[in-house]
Amino acid sequence: MMMLKELTGELIGMFVAEKWLAVAVLTLIAVTGSLLDFAGLDQLAGGAILLFGSLLLLLASVCYAAKARTP
Amino acid sequence: MPPLSTAAPAISAAFFASLVEVVEAFTIVLAVATLRGWRPAALGTAGGLGVLACVVLLLGPVLDRIPITSLQLAIGILLLLFGMGWLRKASLRAAGIIPFHDEDAIFAAKTAELREDEGRRSRSLNWIAGVTALKAVLLEGLEVVFIVVAVGAGRGLLVPASLGALAACALVLTAGVLVHRPLSRVPENLLKFGVGVVLSAFGVFWTGEGLGIVWPAQDLALLLFAALFLGAGLIGSAFARKLSMEFA
Repeated sequence: MMMLKELTGELIGMFVAEKWLAVAVLTLIAVTGSLLDFAGLDQLAGGAILLFGSLLLLLASVCYAAKARTP
Repeated sequence: MPPLSTAAPAISAAFFASLVEVVEAFTIVLAVATLRGWRPAALGTAGGLGVLACVVLLLGPVLDRIPITSLQLAIGILLLLFGMGWLRKASLRAAGIIPFHDEDAIFAAKTAELREDEGRRSRSLNWIAGVTALKAVLLEGLEVVFIVVAVGAGRGLLVPASLGALAACALVLTAGVLVHRPLSRVPENLLKFGVGVVLSAFGVFWTGEGLGIVWPAQDLALLLFAALFLGAGLIGSAFARKLSMEFA
């Protein structure tokens, strides 16, 4: 049972290394998908939102962690 | 077998990502073998590999039944989460914000943990050692399986990706048998940085395709994505270093 719990924790940890980054990435994907499907956004613009949004989220997450972990 | 130019990114991504995971599993198996002998280590490893084989055999046919766009979207999202997580951690390690992964320290900690168990439950030592090896192989192996599926499925590249992962296993085992100590000289953070870049690029590409986006220049767009993620990782690391110096 303990091993199963550990295994599940490890599997979730594989994808959710940092909770807020994961939530932000999922939100970005949902927003991009909605804009493409419901607002008729041009697919290249959708691609740009997905790509540059991901890059910005990465930068923000690294900088936030650096600030938070610095004593 | 697809042409090498198509298969190369999948092979290299699976190879380097698996290298990191196999080194981690090897460190723990070696700690078990050093303390309790090769029998429980080998049995635990075989057990872990057996469970992994079952997972692959069960998952393989299921993957074929999922529509390609759904598969690309699901795997793209998971890859993006996985890759960006690695890239974030590698950037923070490179900036000195979080400590480097130290195989020697992990080896020492795992050995000490097993010694502690030795004092408490001397009758079931080989069992504990075997389960420790099994857990390490299973947990790290699951990550390898995911990486192989993620970079290989949906494009008919499962075989090349598996070959990349197998080559990583063979390399680590050969090096491990030769040096017979934790492989602490593997530049793990550099590998994690590189693999994080590649997996994030694959993640954006496949998530986009799953959402119905047709990327200009098709597969070549991956190179641009990888370059952008590399740049973002390096800039993030430089910013993080600067921030930590400012606040220190």
